[in-house]
Amino acid sequence: MKLKNYNFNFIGKRNVWFIISLAVIIIGVAGFFIRGGFNLGIDFLGGSLIEVEFERNVNVAEIREVMDDLGYGNAVLQRVETDLLQAESDRFIIRIKAKELGTPITTEEKNDILNSLDEKIGLTGEPLQDRTVDPGFGKQITRNALMAIGISIIGILIYVWIRFEFRFGAAAILALFHDVLVTLGVYAILNREINTSTIAALLTIIGYSLNDTIVVFDRIRENTHLAGKLGYIRVVNDSVNATLSRSINTSVTTLFPVILLLILGTSALKDFALALTIGIVSGTYSSIFFASPILVAWNNRFPRYKK
Amino acid sequence: MRNKKVHISIIIIFIIIIGVSFYYIFRDSISNSIKLGLDLKGGTQIILRPTWSGEEEIPSEYLEETTRIIRERIDRLGVSEPLVTRDSLNNFIIQLPGVKDPDTAKEVIGKTAELEFRLVAGTLISIDEQGWDVVQFDYEEGKLTGISDDKKVLLINDINKFIAGESFEVIAELLTDTESGELLLVEYEEEGDRESTGEETDKEGNSGADSEVIIDPEKVIGKLIYDPETREMLVFDYEEENVEGEILVDSRTGAATLVEPVLLTGKDLAKAVAGYDSYGAIRIALSFKDEGVEKFAEVTSKNIGRNLAIVLDEKIESSPYIKVPIDDGEAEITGIDSIEEAKNIEIVLQLGALPVTLHSEESSTVGPTLGMDSLNKGIYAGVAGFILIIIFMVSYYRGLGAVSALNLIIYIIIFWGIIAGIGAALTLPGIAGIILTIGMAVDANVIIFERIKEEILKEKSPRIAVGDGFKNALRTIVDSNVTTLITAAALYRFGTGPIKGFALTLGLGVIISMVISLLFTRSVLFLMSGVPRIATPGFLGVRKRSSA
Repeated sequence: MKLKNYNFNFIGKRNVWFIISLAVIIIGVAGFFIRGGFNLGIDFLGGSLIEVEFERNVNVAEIREVMDDLGYGNAVLQRVETDLLQAESDRFIIRIKAKELGTPITTEEKNDILNSLDEKIGLTGEPLQDRTVDPGFGKQITRNALMAIGISIIGILIYVWIRFEFRFGAAAILALFHDVLVTLGVYAILNREINTSTIAALLTIIGYSLNDTIVVFDRIRENTHLAGKLGYIRVVNDSVNATLSRSINTSVTTLFPVILLLILGTSALKDFALALTIGIVSGTYSSIFFASPILVAWNNRFPRYKK
Repeated sequence: MRNKKVHISIIIIFIIIIGVSFYYIFRDSISNSIKLGLDLKGGTQIILRPTWSGEEEIPSEYLEETTRIIRERIDRLGVSEPLVTRDSLNNFIIQLPGVKDPDTAKEVIGKTAELEFRLVAGTLISIDEQGWDVVQFDYEEGKLTGISDDKKVLLINDINKFIAGESFEVIAELLTDTESGELLLVEYEEEGDRESTGEETDKEGNSGADSEVIIDPEKVIGKLIYDPETREMLVFDYEEENVEGEILVDSRTGAATLVEPVLLTGKDLAKAVAGYDSYGAIRIALSFKDEGVEKFAEVTSKNIGRNLAIVLDEKIESSPYIKVPIDDGEAEITGIDSIEEAKNIEIVLQLGALPVTLHSEESSTVGPTLGMDSLNKGIYAGVAGFILIIIFMVSYYRGLGAVSALNLIIYIIIFWGIIAGIGAALTLPGIAGIILTIGMAVDANVIIFERIKEEILKEKSPRIAVGDGFKNALRTIVDSNVTTLITAAALYRFGTGPIKGFALTLGLGVIISMVISLLFTRSVLFLMSGVPRIATPGFLGVRKRSSA
């Protein structure tokens, strides 16, 4: 009986993979605490964001000075990353979080900032974008996003339970948490801002991670009848090997456009692409090294098939 | 042979679908085929959250009525193609393409539906020998229109009596100060006296160039001043110290009407019920709260014989005549054309009475440059990603890779056609969703090709390998895509704003790619596997090394 092209021993070293996964997640959690929490954007905390373009090349210190004079010492200044072909841009995103001022800045205050920047440094024209979010709105968005996640997880668990076995569903959900935690950990370590795009990306990672895991599980389900002869460990290991080229090829083809977006995109698209890149890599890893070994560990603990 | 016919017809159906997609893509012009969201084409979006004093949830008819009121208020702003929608949290989402300043819009929209009771001072009419007409007021321009040369503009106390030919009173004449250009309400002088001053007003309300107006300040009753910020035409006293009244539009006649300051507001109102009176006439019965009852009794007892204007959102809805003092706090609005209209007014009154306030949650303005930049970069990333995928697939799966390239091209055409056909707006997260689905669309192919390769390795003939490979792949593809669809559906249902746009493209992409892979690719591969020269293991991507 030939099930595979490859023959790596994935399952035998499962404790190594568990430790690697755990270590990555712990590093992320540590990063979270060292940074004092996530860098939440104005979508969650409320506040204002203005993107402006200066007439000439400026450095952060010059803008900082203008903002300090106006009493916005806490404003976050970020030079807009441009694509690889262009020289350093003269565009800046200025974020003023509501947390530091109680309420988002008013129109007058915003106009004061724009006028001062124009007088002292010089702007090319109207701001490129300009957003103001009320602090209460973030709570609404977060609650909704969590609700969407909860409902899709329940839906998926039920679907996988019907089509496979309960343990498959549970393992798939654990793999999904693995991928979300890894992505959030990287965000905490890099201190990248988390905004609505990040949430959409996390939700996509959930979809991708499951999709990837299910394909491997499908093969395990197909081969489970051989467990009596070969043992469950062997069945799982052979199934992972049999689907290995698919797992890798799919993540490679999905990563092509996503990485290009990370390189070429505008700041909002880059935010999205970064989360997806981490999530796709983690999702592929977890299907092979995390979700499938869990099935074996589960069967060792609660034997249903011959080990 | 029967199978062959089925496969050929499937391919023909797909060719027709592609044709239809091309129709939608090229219907106007290719660059206009897809509507762009505000984050790509530039404009302002405002999200408003409704709150009200009630304990329970806001009734849906109130929310619908609020949507209608917001639309009407936006129409006053003169924005082209505005869009007012509600999200799953009942927030109002207002999209104003091309608008750079959210504040004016917010101000106009964010007011509560205001109900006011104000005494009518009079109506402006223009009159000459040929006849008369009402003067109209343009809120946006702040101009009185319907005034022409050789016409006198008079403020009369009761337009209904004037129309009916009953006795009426001329309170004042509207004149323009030649020096300052100010619009003044001056005590009305008899015909003979007026002729001697030789003044006349033209369309703009200015005096003729060669005429001269001598206005005695003693006789000026009021001065009309328009505030473009609030779009109000207020009437001040001559010294401009006190506001004496305001010019409003009567919604039934369109006439510019002078009303006195506000006496009661919607806050004094307890209830409004639309229905019929005992004679079968349409009416809205109003009842006031305790304080309102007293105020209303006072107002009505002091002003018998005058008209009381019921003003909704700066428009006079009705101006009943006060016959007797009303001390029980019951009043009614009559003269409404239909019961539907009465019901609408009832809801608006309730909204004003139960202060539903709109709170600005988010406002964002994106300039057109940034939007186009995002769009272009998204397209570059998509095109470059597409080329890389094809290079990868062809080099790995050989002939099958070429089939997947064809697949991907068809996927993009159909996706584009559907987006253009249903008129969905493409947003920034939508672009990200599309780019992701381009990658994921290939997944179904990868699964099928891997299965076919496995069958070839079992020494099966290409024809049988294709059939068995598909059979095995079908279940995998369905199970993996259904889980993604569950996520997309949850996101679409519960997500807000950008997340929703993303969920739509994700879900649509998964469905389209699944249909193409399971039907089109299958038929193409079956037909190809029947041609011996094409259906070789090498074509199917099996290298000699791995089959050894």
